[in-house]
Amino acid sequence: MKKLKKIAAVSAAFALIGAYGAAFAGCSKKDDTVMLRVSSWEEYIDLGGWKDDELIEIDNPYNEELGGVIGKNSMVEDFTEWFNSTHDFKVKVEYSTFGTNEDLYNRLSLGDVYDLVCPSDYMLMKLIAEGACEEYSEEFLNNGWYTENVSPYIKGVFTDYGWEKYAACYMWGTTGVVYNPEKLNDISDVNTWEILLNENYNRRVTVKDNVRDAYFVTLGILNKGKLTGELTKEERSKILNDTDGETIAKAEDVLKKIKDNVYSFETDAGKSDMVTGKVVANYQWSGDSVFIMDEAESDESSPVELWYSVPEECTNLWFDGWVMLKNGIDGNEQRRTAAEAFVNFLSRPDNAVRNMNYIGYTSAIAGETVFDYMKWNYGDEEADDVFEYDLSYFFGNEKYKIKTDAANFDFEDGDRKIINRGRQLFTQYPSQNVIERSTVMLDFGDKLGDINQMWINVRCLDVKDIPIATIVIVSVVIVVVVVGICLYAFRYKIFTGYKPKKGYKRVEE
Amino acid sequence: MKKLRFNRSQLCIPYAVFLILFVIAPLIVIVYYAFTNGQGHITFKNFASFFSSTNTLGTLLYSFSLAIVTTLVCLVIAYPTAYILARSNFKKKYVLLMLFILPMWINFTLRITALKEVLSVLEGNISKFPFLNSVIGMTYDFLPFMILPLYTSLLKLDKSLLEAASDLGANKLTVFLRVTLPLSVPGIISGMTMVLLPSMTNYVVLDMLYNSTYIMGSLIGSYFSAYDWNNGSLISLVLLVIIFIVTLVTNRFSDEDSNGRGALL
Repeated sequence: MKKLKKIAAVSAAFALIGAYGAAFAGCSKKDDTVMLRVSSWEEYIDLGGWKDDELIEIDNPYNEELGGVIGKNSMVEDFTEWFNSTHDFKVKVEYSTFGTNEDLYNRLSLGDVYDLVCPSDYMLMKLIAEGACEEYSEEFLNNGWYTENVSPYIKGVFTDYGWEKYAACYMWGTTGVVYNPEKLNDISDVNTWEILLNENYNRRVTVKDNVRDAYFVTLGILNKGKLTGELTKEERSKILNDTDGETIAKAEDVLKKIKDNVYSFETDAGKSDMVTGKVVANYQWSGDSVFIMDEAESDESSPVELWYSVPEECTNLWFDGWVMLKNGIDGNEQRRTAAEAFVNFLSRPDNAVRNMNYIGYTSAIAGETVFDYMKWNYGDEEADDVFEYDLSYFFGNEKYKIKTDAANFDFEDGDRKIINRGRQLFTQYPSQNVIERSTVMLDFGDKLGDINQMWINVRCLDVKDIPIATIVIVSVVIVVVVVGICLYAFRYKIFTGYKPKKGYKRVEE
Repeated sequence: MKKLRFNRSQLCIPYAVFLILFVIAPLIVIVYYAFTNGQGHITFKNFASFFSSTNTLGTLLYSFSLAIVTTLVCLVIAYPTAYILARSNFKKKYVLLMLFILPMWINFTLRITALKEVLSVLEGNISKFPFLNSVIGMTYDFLPFMILPLYTSLLKLDKSLLEAASDLGANKLTVFLRVTLPLSVPGIISGMTMVLLPSMTNYVVLDMLYNSTYIMGSLIGSYFSAYDWNNGSLISLVLLVIIFIVTLVTNRFSDEDSNGRGALL
C-alpha cells in the first residue's frame, strides 16, 4: 500500500508539472507579442522559395519594386514582417496543418486550440451552427483587402447561406472528371457521372475515398433525368442534399456497383495514377485537376494533354473559408486583430496570386491584379481562333473577358455558349453554364451516422455476399487440414499396427 | 549529504507512469466508450450491433483470412531462410541477416509505393487482384518479424541433439521432422503472432495497393472519422480480446520452452 502511495505521489507531481507547463504555454505573456495559432490544409499556402525566373510579370501595385509577383519568402514570414512593421504590437504565427475536415473537427473536440482555421463549406456550417465561431468585426466587414477584393459572386453565395459574418472565403472550385481524351472510346462518356459505372472503363477510372464526394456523385447518377432538365436553384439543391432513408439505400446499391468498376478509392494517389496513365479518368476537385494537368503536360519523357469535364448532371460547388474560433480568440482584442489581419493579408491581390500560383487552386479574390494574372497565364490574342472567355460573373464587371485560344475549350454547341469540357482556365474558373448547375453540398447533420453506415456497408465484405461455393471449398480445406493434423498427432493411438518410416527404427519397449 | 539511492521498485516508477498514462488510462477510456452511447448512458447496443451485422462479421472474416494467408506465406518463405542462415558456416551470415532486416530501416510507405510500381508492371492493372496484392504487400512488410524469431530459435538449437539423432539411425529428413522442427516451435509461434496480429489491422497497405475492401483497422478509422467514438471503441475492444485470446493460446504452446522466442526483437 505504501508503495502505491509513493507511485501516486510521484505521478501527481508529474501531472502538476505538466499542468503548469500547459498553463504557461497557454497564456500569452504580458509583453507585446501575440501568438496566432493558424491551422489549414496541407500544401495550401505559398511556402516561398521561388526562383528568379518564376517571376509573374504583371503589374503589382502593392509591391512595385519587385516588378511583378514572386514568393521569395513564405507567406507566413511575409505576413509576420508586414504585421510587425505596421502595428503597435508584434505577432508570431504558429502554422499547423490538417488532412481532412473530420480530422480538424476531432482535434477541436479533443481540446486543441486554434485562433484561425480553414475548413470546407459543410464543416464551417457545422462549426457556425455549434456556435464555435467568432464574428468578424465591423471594421473587417467594411474595410480591408478582403472586403474590397472578394468576388461579388462568392460574397453572394456566402450571404445566401448566412456565413458572411463568420467566414472569409479563401479558395473555391467545382468537382469534375480529369480525363485523357485519347484513351476514351467516345468523348461523350465523360459528360456524365455514369462514367464511373461504364464497363468500357472497367478498373480504369478512380473515385474519391470519402463518403461525401462519393454520395454526391451517386445522387447525380440516380437523379440524372431530373437534373438534366429545367430546375430552379432550390429544387436542384434539394435533390442533391437529399438524405432520405430510401435514397441512402438506393445510393448504397449504386456505390457497390461503382466499387466493382473503379480502379481505386483514392485520397491522393489519383493524381500520380492519372499522370502516369494508369487510369483514363479521375474524379477530382478542380484545384487538384489543374495541378494534374500542369504536371502531365510538363512530363519530360511523355507529355500528355489532359482535360477537365464537369458532367452535365451536377457539380459540387465547394468553398474553403477562414473562421476565427471563440475558444482560441477568447475575447483577446489583439489576437482578433492579428487573425483578421492574417486573412486580409492573404486576400491582398498579389498574395492571392502567389497562393494560386503555388497551389493551383482558385482564390476567392477578384480584381485587376488577379485578372492580369489570368491573362498572363492563359491570354492569347494572336491565336488562330481567339475566343473571349466570359468571367464577368466572378469579377463582377462586363469588361472581364479573357481573350484566349479557342482550342482550350471543347464546345457543346455551334454558337460557343455551352462549355462542359476545357483545360486549365475552364478548370480554375468554370463557365457560366457550369455555375448554373452547381450546388453547395450542405452538412449531413444528424443523418451523418446513417450515411456513414451506408459507406461502411459499401466498403465491407458482407458475409451474405460470399458465394456458397467458396464457403464449401474453404470449409472442406479447413476440415481436411484439421483432420490431417489430428491423424498425425494421434497416429500411435489410432493406428495400432504402426510401422516406422523409412530410415527410422522404432525401439520396442 | 545523503547518498542518492534507489531500490528496485523505485526504478520501476518511470515505467509505471508510462504504463498508467499510455496503456491503462486509454484502455479505460476505450472500455467506457465501448459500452456507452453518444449521450453517455450505459448500453450494450454497440456490442449487439457488432455481432448482428453481417458487414462487421464479414470484415472480421476478411481480416482473418488475409492475416492467416499472410502468416502462412511468411512462414513458408522465412523458415528455409532462417534455417539456412542459422545452420550455415558462412562467415558473412550476419551481413546476410542484415540484408533481411535492412528493409525495416526504410520508411514503409516508401517501400509499398515502390512495390506498387513493381506490381503494376507485373500485373498490368493492380486493382484486379486486390487480395493477392494485399498479401504480397503485407508479406513484404512483415517478413523480417517472422525471420528473426525463427533465426534465434534455430541458432540456439543444440547441435549435439542433431548428432545424437543421426547416430541413432535417423536420416536427414527424420532429424529435421523429429528434432529440428519440434524444437523450433516456440520460434514459429512467436513469429506467427508477430505477423498475424498486425496484419489484421494494417490497413495502410490495403489503401496504398488499392484494395477497396475494409479490414478491421479501416473500419475503426471510418467510425472515428464520423465522430462515432462508441462503435469505434467497441471494435477496438473486440480486436483487443481476440489478440488476448490468441496470445493466451500461443503461450500455452510455447510455455515449455520459452527461451527460444525472438530475443532480437
